[in-house]
Amino acid sequence: MEKEKDTIVIGVIGSDCHSVGNKILELFFTSEGFKVVNLGVMVSQQEFVDAAIETNAKAILVSSLYGHGEIDCQGFRDLCIEKGLDSIILYVGGNLVVGKTPVSVVEEKFKKMGFDRVFPPDIDLKQVAELLRQDIKERFGSSSKEQEAKDQSEQDSQPDQKNPGDEGSQNNLTGQDNQNNMKEPEGFKVK
Amino acid sequence: MIKDEKIELKEFYEIRKDVLQTWPTGRNVSIEEGIKFHRTIPEERRFALVMSKARKKRLTLLQPRAGVALIDDHIKLLRYLETEGQADLLPTTIDAYTRQNRYEEAEKGIERSKQTGSSMLNGFPAVNYGVEGCRRVVESLSKPLQIRHGTPDARLLAEITLAAGFTSFEGGGISYNIPYAKRVPVEKSLGDWQYVDRLVGLYEENGVKINREPFGPLTGTLVPPCISIVSGIIEGLLALRQGAKSITLGYGQGGNIIQDVAAIASLRELAEDYFHRAGFDDFELTTVFHQWMGGFPEDEAKAFSVIAFGAIVARLSGAEKVIVKSPHEAMGIPTKEANAQGLRTTRQAINMVEDQVVLHPEDIRIELELIKKEVHCLIDKVYELGKGDIAIGTVAAFEAGVLDIPFAPSIYNHGKIIPMRDNEGFIRIFNQGNLPLSDEIMAYHRERLNERARAEGRPISFEMVTDDIYAISKGKLVGRPR
Ligand code: B12
Repeated sequence: MEKEKDTIVIGVIGSDCHSVGNKILELFFTSEGFKVVNLGVMVSQQEFVDAAIETNAKAILVSSLYGHGEIDCQGFRDLCIEKGLDSIILYVGGNLVVGKTPVSVVEEKFKKMGFDRVFPPDIDLKQVAELLRQDIKERFGSSSKEQEAKDQSEQDSQPDQKNPGDEGSQNNLTGQDNQNNMKEPEGFKVK
Repeated sequence: MIKDEKIELKEFYEIRKDVLQTWPTGRNVSIEEGIKFHRTIPEERRFALVMSKARKKRLTLLQPRAGVALIDDHIKLLRYLETEGQADLLPTTIDAYTRQNRYEEAEKGIERSKQTGSSMLNGFPAVNYGVEGCRRVVESLSKPLQIRHGTPDARLLAEITLAAGFTSFEGGGISYNIPYAKRVPVEKSLGDWQYVDRLVGLYEENGVKINREPFGPLTGTLVPPCISIVSGIIEGLLALRQGAKSITLGYGQGGNIIQDVAAIASLRELAEDYFHRAGFDDFELTTVFHQWMGGFPEDEAKAFSVIAFGAIVARLSGAEKVIVKSPHEAMGIPTKEANAQGLRTTRQAINMVEDQVVLHPEDIRIELELIKKEVHCLIDKVYELGKGDIAIGTVAAFEAGVLDIPFAPSIYNHGKIIPMRDNEGFIRIFNQGNLPLSDEIMAYHRERLNERARAEGRPISFEMVTDDIYAISKGKLVGRPR
């Protein structure tokens, strides 16, 4: 039997409307065997934290594309600790600061804020999934069996999760039809 | 309920009282003073006039995007783009907090920028600076100035910046809501933009022409031309109703040259046609072509190539204006130097093709006819849903998914349609969702997509869409199998 999947919360922080990458991250991490709770764009720190508590998530993956990441992410770790999420894994990625800036400078800034890992926009996502599995194992002592989960993900792709704080959203892209192997996704709805 | 009717002045001033109270700098904005100031602006700095000249002389004018947190730095930046970048038209790009009416946060951004000595905001927080601060910007420059943003409720921003002397204002109730917001009802944003357009109309009635530019590229990501064009025509119609007269309709480069040239041509024809049909004759229509609006390559050498390619197609399309990107696009807000490089790259490319006449060969005509048919299907349905009223129809159309913008964040958008590239890079529609496109049109799209599937030896799949989203940033137009 399949082990329970690890839940991760994803979303785009602040007043940021960039929705394309967010949708891709949802698809990608789902296909990698994670249970993805996607809060969509324009998510506050509080919403991230509430969702993580509600879904018992092991990690929060914050995106920021529009440049205000530095302001929006201030105090994120503190809020997590305040709300009892002492050991939650925090990743952040995207175009995190205003202007083209060396990766090492950006990394330092966000690590200081308490993020465990910091990623530039062109990061190889496969690598991120690997790191995430490792980090979960280290911090929580176990992780879903990656291969098993991956094999399952085809059938498991029905949107079963209810996204907290986002009543109006429907889920999307269900590979519903099984005729041949041609997938005809229903839609590409970004929350 | 919203209607496509000109707002009565009495009602306008009622609403205005509340609008001006939403932030302290709104308190003493005076339209009368603004009108007086505009009358002193010399002709070469009036946006509408310069656009209209470009149309007559068949020019393609260059405009960058640019905005930083602090006034002096902002002026320095724009001056640099004027001199080193030789921009024909100047922007003032507004920061993302102001776009969401979060002026307290913009204030924090200003403070932090002062502390760190560099811009912590992704644009210029015009509302916080008020008429006085914005006027300083206007008076420091010698090219026409436009406010560029992405604000669902831009009423206060418009009041302040128009009074300060900006002569053009970008946006609209669809294009500055659906791609830019999550929870703003369409009816709300359309209404707020009617206010902005009524304000523009008020200036117009006093002899001051303000150029209005709906935002054509929408999400910038695989947007089929018909969707962009319909959105532009609707916003144009709504603006004309409130008394705007100088309209510039936009389109974001898709990547296939034929499709892009056909799109600008059909945009122009269709808009003229629908505007006249709605009873408007006294307007000036121009077009703007946006260099590629989706993900850029990180390598600056490759980015220059994308910029030059966009410049060439902009010119071939005959658009009166091109919005220019920078080699830093994939990474961050450009420095003034990088921004000027984008302008110079564009200038050179445009100059090289300027005098070449491109005939409209058969394939451009085919694509043009296709786009026209698609637009007719969509707009006719919007009118039908609104029983002849385009504003009511637009609200109903988003509810029904009759209008649907791919990859948009708004919960009021169905997000059901799936676009992807065909084998030659044309943007086609794979899943039409609830778009009322005829079977004949859809069969054509399907056939062209099947061609690609055969060429790539894989079934049409969602993978193609993700491959297409990444393709240009990874060095190609069509997302071929990896
Ligand atoms: C398309 C686009 C838009 C569209 C967005 C439509 C939409 N609703 O999504 C429109 C035109 C509306 C738009 C608007 C704006 N944009 Co914009 N936009 C882009 C553009 C061209 C592509 C973004 C994209 O979709 N890429 C494709 C996806 C697949 O990639 P991605 O978003 O980068 O996401 C991937 C990675 O970043 C990574 N990732 C992201 N998050 C995370 C998190 C973790 C944990 C990990 C591991 C990885 C990861 O994985 C994702 C999937 O591969 C980029 C520049 C570029 N990249 O070329 C600018 C860009 C992001 N935009 C920018 C800005 C500033 C804005 C505006 C504020 C306007 C302005 N001032 O110029 C507004 C936003 C207003 C707001 N409220 O947010 C800037 C940000 C600058 C900075 N950080 O210094 C950029 C970089 C352009 C630039 N150089 O100026 N934009």
